[in-house]
Amino acid sequence: MAVDRERAGAGFGEVSRVKGVAFRYVSFGASIVGLVALATLLVYVFIDAFDLANTNPVWLLVYFLTLVVPFIGFCLYSAGDRALTRRTALVLGGGLVATAVAFEAIELLITPIPRLTWQLAYLFVVVAPVVSYVVFVGAQKPVGATGFGLLGRTLGGAVLGTAVAILFIVLDMRLWFLVFTLGVVPAGAARAYGRYRGSGRALGLSIPVGVLGAVAAVFLRDVLRTYPTPPFIFIWTFGAPIALAAGLFVLNRGGTRRSAAAVGGVSLAAAAVGTVTGSSALPEGSAVLVFAAAAAPLAIHLHGVLDAEKGRVGLVLPVILGGGVLLGAALVGAFGIPGPDPWLDPGYLTEAPSRTAVEAGLYPAIVGSVIIIALVAVLSFVLGVGAAVFLEEYTADTGVVGAIARIIQINIANLAAVPSVVYGLLGLGLFANLLGFGFGTAVTAALTLSLLILPITVISAQEAIRAVPDELRQGSYAMGATRWQTTKKVVLPEAMPGILTGTILALGRAIGETAPLIMIGAATTVFSAPSNVWSRFSAMPMQIYAWANFPQAEFRYGVVAAGVVTLLIVLLSMNTTAIIVRNKLERDS
Amino acid sequence: MSQNQQSGDEASAESESLITTDVQPAETNRRSRSATILETRDLSVYYGDDRALTDVSIEIPEHSVTALIGPSGCGKSTFLRCLNRMNDLIDACRVEGEVTLRGKNVYDEDVDPVALRRQIGQVFQKPNPFPKSIRDNVTYGLEVQGKSATDEDVERALKGAALWDEVKDQLGSSGLDLSGGQQQRLCIARAIAPDPEVILMDEPTSALDPVAASKIEDLIDDLAEEYTVVIVTHNMQQAARISDRTAVFLTGGELVEYDDTATIFEDPADDRVEDYITGKFG
Ligand SMILES: Nc1ncnc2c1ncn2[C@@H]1O[C@H](COP(=O)(O)OP(=O)(O)OP(=O)(O)O)[C@@H](O)[C@H]1O
Ligand SMILES: [Mg+2]
Repeated sequence: MAVDRERAGAGFGEVSRVKGVAFRYVSFGASIVGLVALATLLVYVFIDAFDLANTNPVWLLVYFLTLVVPFIGFCLYSAGDRALTRRTALVLGGGLVATAVAFEAIELLITPIPRLTWQLAYLFVVVAPVVSYVVFVGAQKPVGATGFGLLGRTLGGAVLGTAVAILFIVLDMRLWFLVFTLGVVPAGAARAYGRYRGSGRALGLSIPVGVLGAVAAVFLRDVLRTYPTPPFIFIWTFGAPIALAAGLFVLNRGGTRRSAAAVGGVSLAAAAVGTVTGSSALPEGSAVLVFAAAAAPLAIHLHGVLDAEKGRVGLVLPVILGGGVLLGAALVGAFGIPGPDPWLDPGYLTEAPSRTAVEAGLYPAIVGSVIIIALVAVLSFVLGVGAAVFLEEYTADTGVVGAIARIIQINIANLAAVPSVVYGLLGLGLFANLLGFGFGTAVTAALTLSLLILPITVISAQEAIRAVPDELRQGSYAMGATRWQTTKKVVLPEAMPGILTGTILALGRAIGETAPLIMIGAATTVFSAPSNVWSRFSAMPMQIYAWANFPQAEFRYGVVAAGVVTLLIVLLSMNTTAIIVRNKLERDS
Repeated sequence: MSQNQQSGDEASAESESLITTDVQPAETNRRSRSATILETRDLSVYYGDDRALTDVSIEIPEHSVTALIGPSGCGKSTFLRCLNRMNDLIDACRVEGEVTLRGKNVYDEDVDPVALRRQIGQVFQKPNPFPKSIRDNVTYGLEVQGKSATDEDVERALKGAALWDEVKDQLGSSGLDLSGGQQQRLCIARAIAPDPEVILMDEPTSALDPVAASKIEDLIDDLAEEYTVVIVTHNMQQAARISDRTAVFLTGGELVEYDDTATIFEDPADDRVEDYITGKFG
């Protein structure tokens, strides 16, 4: 009896969780340390790139009031959550006092903090996280979705258009004109006809027709003497097709003929504006492409918003931002408040490197990087997906083929861990020396970098393909589909989000590599953009590395920081694209 | 001893009463008289060194429903996959013996398994519509054969699968947005759209609720007017209700009895079959 009661009194006993709790806090601490280190680095790079260290606090205050506060207001309005508004105000206000006090206390009692003021600390430590959070919350609601969708699409289109335009620095515009006219247009027409009439023959013909046209174009390139002007070529090969695609997209989405025509018309009009404006550092006439690529998604988005009736207010976001900038500039000008003189300005992006830090620009290196990334993207996507499809869908698990496939598999996994210098050496020996693609040319660099990221693209594509449920393959085979049909119609569409994400992330790795470029003899500094894929080039990380070794402090801090920020922005936007693509494709299927 | 005997008798009496209420032998006989379309001779299947089927010989009549029953792991799915050579996709699988479709051995050198599968459709245990629109699901078979599919084809197949009325306004939406039972009927529509001769079904209702299952059972009955249906099922009542002929496999991959459904359920020749049907076995 007594024993029983004792047991009951002891309950169920204790189970020790000391290790688990310790583990949790250690992991938490480790991740915080990592994040803080990274954030500090980024803050300083930012401060240097935009010359914030010497900024007049009043200047900051003016723009904070005219730009940041209305922007936060917009996000909060979109979120429509009173509690959130109150909390945001509290954090912004309390943060202001807390940062100021803490900052001064540290400077006074412990150590002076270089190149930071408490106002800047407040911006980075309190305002930046608050803004990201309210953007995140606000963008989920219709008003915010409208506003940010508008900006994001327009900006994304413009960036994409610019990237393609940059490619025409090395591509032969006239050849492209012929290929488009003789190959792409007839092939597209055959395809459209086949779809529309349900004619399998026309569909099957489209690819041979396109190839034939392209071949003919190559032969005609040197025979023909007169060509249309570049702006016309861009209108014909990009402006018109983009407008057509935008119109069809709207039709497909259930829009009326009139709205489709309007959307197409707006895109075409934007393209036409591009013929009048100059194209700055881009090839002549390519402003057409940039404008059309920015206007088409903008027009499509506008159509969707006006149709939806919800969240239309969001369209004022560009007005808020533009108005904020203008008002701030007016105030700053009226009171004669000196602003910062950022290193990262339009001139930096469009001018060549120079002896003086003030005139130094990243333009040739940006062009080099874009061209290489485009080549690497095509190469590694084709090779990576091809290899992954072969390994996953076409090899048996058993027998000789199976054994070979397993050996390949193991080697791919190992190759992913090979240092990039070794790939550089391989590129030097194989592409530059043996195959004679030249030292430090864009082709050699692209091939080398493609090899470098190939293991990553193959493995991520394999994972995506493996994640496609086997029932779908079985279903397809049982319908009498061949292996190729099953791969093309069922497996690849289902695996595409994963494949694209993996490839884009791997491209991010390639864009930041320096070691293999040094090995293949890429120039650290070139003064003009490469004129074709066989010419010497430099890439962003190479140029940044070169500047970092300059004796002048202005180079080592300001110019380098501006380069790093440019590189980071490119990388971040690539990763964002990867995430958006994945989310979008996953939602659609 | 005597008690055992009695309980056995009781069970068989029960099953007999259960069968007689559900089967209409007249109809059964009408169908089973037709010509043979599928036939296997001494069919044995090995996975590596393990034998999954042992010398199976069977003749399946045209325009009929043939049920395959038997305990789990006895090789029903394996047998089904032999008929349309889906076993070719399993590396370890080896087939001996003959399977003939209208007298032609499908394992002959000159037979393309892909072409064969265009004659023999299959519906799986778990509904597996493609992540495409309903229309694209239905037209998939025609498309891979290089034929263009018309709206009439889509309507005919969906009506054949008793799904038309439920989805006719949403042909463009994803096949995955349908309920499980609807998805399975979509898979049936997909299978019949290219107009095959034979339709194989591997436990097509086991993932469905009774209402959805009974819809599919009715459907199978109709399908037999135009197609030859071979169906694997674990549900005795279902086999008894919908099939004209029943084949009973037992562990070891042996076909122990194959006869008119009424005979199998009322008066099986083999004791083991009776034991299995009455639930004393497997
Ligand atoms: N892919 C495979 N590889 C190796 N062995 C297999 C494979 N598929 C089936 N088997 C074996 O073959 C035998 C028969 O399997 P099968 O799937 O045909 O049985 P079943 O009658 O359909 O069973 P259930 O009613 O559970 O579906 C089993 O012993 C199984 O282990
Ligand atoms: Mg089975």
